[in-house]
Amino acid sequence: MRPSSPRTGPEDDQWRGRGSVRRTSRYVALLLLAVCALVVAACGSSDDDKGASTASGGGSGDKVKISFLTHWAPETVRAFERVTAAYTADHPDVEVEIRAVPFADLLTTLRSQAGGDNGPTMASIYDLWLPELVRDGVLSRAPAANAAEVTKEWPANLAGAASVDGSTYGYPNEVDLYALNYNKALFRAAGIADPPRTWDELIADAKKLTKKDGDRITQQGFGLISSWAAGTVHPFTSLLYSNGGELIADGRAALDSQQAGETFDLVDQLANKEKVSSAQMSTADANTTGPYLENFVSGKTAMIIMANWWESALRAGMRGRFSDIATAPIPVGPSGDAPHSVSYSWLTVVNGKAGEAEQRAAWEFLAYLNSPESGEEGHSAMAALLQSMGILPSRTSDLEAYRGDLSREFLKAYVEELPNAKPFPIVLGGQEFTESLQRNLEALQAGQMSAGDAQERSQADAESVLETAAG
Amino acid sequence: MRTARQNWWAAGLLAPSVGLIGVFVLIPIVLTLWLSLHRWSTATPFGDAEWVGLRNFDALFSSALVGRDFRQALRNTFVYAGLSIALLIPLSILFGVIVHRAAVRGTTFLRTVLFATYCVPMIAVAIVWSKLYSPTEGPVNQALGWFGIGPQPWLSDTGTALISLVFLNVWQQLGYFTVLVVAGLTQIPPSVYEAAALDGARNVKLLFKITLPLLRRTLLFCVVIALINAIQVFEPVATITQGGPVGSTNVLTYHIRQVGIERSQGGLASAMAVTLLLALMAVVTLVFALMRKGDDR
Repeated sequence: MRPSSPRTGPEDDQWRGRGSVRRTSRYVALLLLAVCALVVAACGSSDDDKGASTASGGGSGDKVKISFLTHWAPETVRAFERVTAAYTADHPDVEVEIRAVPFADLLTTLRSQAGGDNGPTMASIYDLWLPELVRDGVLSRAPAANAAEVTKEWPANLAGAASVDGSTYGYPNEVDLYALNYNKALFRAAGIADPPRTWDELIADAKKLTKKDGDRITQQGFGLISSWAAGTVHPFTSLLYSNGGELIADGRAALDSQQAGETFDLVDQLANKEKVSSAQMSTADANTTGPYLENFVSGKTAMIIMANWWESALRAGMRGRFSDIATAPIPVGPSGDAPHSVSYSWLTVVNGKAGEAEQRAAWEFLAYLNSPESGEEGHSAMAALLQSMGILPSRTSDLEAYRGDLSREFLKAYVEELPNAKPFPIVLGGQEFTESLQRNLEALQAGQMSAGDAQERSQADAESVLETAAG
Repeated sequence: MRTARQNWWAAGLLAPSVGLIGVFVLIPIVLTLWLSLHRWSTATPFGDAEWVGLRNFDALFSSALVGRDFRQALRNTFVYAGLSIALLIPLSILFGVIVHRAAVRGTTFLRTVLFATYCVPMIAVAIVWSKLYSPTEGPVNQALGWFGIGPQPWLSDTGTALISLVFLNVWQQLGYFTVLVVAGLTQIPPSVYEAAALDGARNVKLLFKITLPLLRRTLLFCVVIALINAIQVFEPVATITQGGPVGSTNVLTYHIRQVGIERSQGGLASAMAVTLLLALMAVVTLVFALMRKGDDR
């Protein structure tokens, strides 16, 4: 650096050094200031940006840009795109974007993005997640007109599942329940005429349908799904309900009942005592596919309790052999009175952190999507999308419009059991409750725990989870 | 001797990078520490966090469900890391020595094949390996059948699921560590080998008396990097096993995501992250201490 003065000598050097230090410290201070400014700019953006986004309608001219987060498969997303195209043709001021993620990433995506400005405006959610999303203020309460429509047009139990403390938070779209799925060809080969109606028949039939090579099961009589919370817990719950038991009663865990004990015993018998179920043949992966599906499709699993929505996966996998598959009510346990499948629903909600214009546009779009105007022959576009996947729609007018389709062979048992189905308990901590039960059931299926221990631990874990969630 | 002016210049030049590290590393760490002392839902603003002191840490080491799951995830993580290192380091030394010896034919091809696996994204590796491991339809079991070995459960059994993920990790990372070992081998002067050969040392003796001792620094680096990579394992668990069966592949990164994001228990997940950080620091310090002890000897 050139000196700023022609002076020379030790004093000058000292002076020059101090001046450089001052200049350097100014540069350092400026740099630090710039870094701080960047941090402040990065941290303090949200409110202003949100306002700007709302005012400009999402930054795309005068259009309001809204997005829909779903876990649907690509072919369903393509069909949905045709619906949104029809809507935006009539509503040129709105742009609808569809965001699809695998099922296993749906809740994560929702939770991690919902609080931000770029989060999805609408999302399809499992009813079990609703209480916590409402508690965290993530969801928008339905406007009065939308709430009134949900109350009027949907069965009361499903409208209730879309509500928390009397306020409606979304449009119910699908309802799912469980039935015994069985392979008629394997039943014929084993000389069994009818599906089992009781647990004793279930065990007896499963024994006849199981084939082994030494100790190794090559064809399992009954598939117990693992590595997937709902896949493990919902069939168990259906068996528990069909044995007169409950998961949660009066707000407290009810897995210490005699009925629950008998259900844990049943799992133990199938997996360990009679060895008619193979843990290796029934695992699931993150996309809710995997060996449990592959083995049923390839005729290596004779019976399994599964939800109605997997019909499309079976059809795609089995093609001509799909006609071998039949469905029947859940077998009834010794303490039960009748088959009672567990049921759950999905609903479409609106992001409470989205801008005002986006929220309004989203509720208008959802009203359209779920109304008969968006579909043909009296059903809604949403119902058509769900039916393409073999899923039961939930709006009363949709159920009526699809009456013919819903009576088809595969869905018949599900539709007939709908009035007897009991909902999975929707409580704070529901997801953790499900996962803790899944873990204990898997340990029982793997022979790591006795039925009694699994029951005792499940009850203790459930009590702990519910107590913590209640805060 | 460094002058004050030089110090200021150094500070000025370092400020941008130190500032960025501060923003993107230190602040998140401090924030995580702060959150670990709170009850906080990840879907709410930081301002809503409620002070709970050390209660989250207390829960992690309790006998309740939270503590059991955490300790199993911590144990799985370190078993996964230990097995990965135990397989990766010897194999990378073996392949490194083979690749380094120009006399062996096909080393360029071997080097390319080995490193190619490292270029494949882990998510793709996980998807492909999940199909390879399929118990009934998978090619791995079919290949074993040619040698009279019965089908293995791989990812479907609590006893084999974690080691199956370790194999997947080793397959993907081996090329990278082989390259590191080759780089280390090129730093050993040929004259050392020549001198040892004159003294009568041959293959195995050369490996244990010359190669491995002179590769110590490289191997230390490999162990630390392999450890950190292994502890960060996430994709294969999230894609294939989701922590199952019976939590046997539930590793901490996946568990923290599950607790922090899916269950929205941000404070508890932060306490897990802090505990993992402390455990990792302790292990890395131990590795360095052991290495230093070896140097002193």
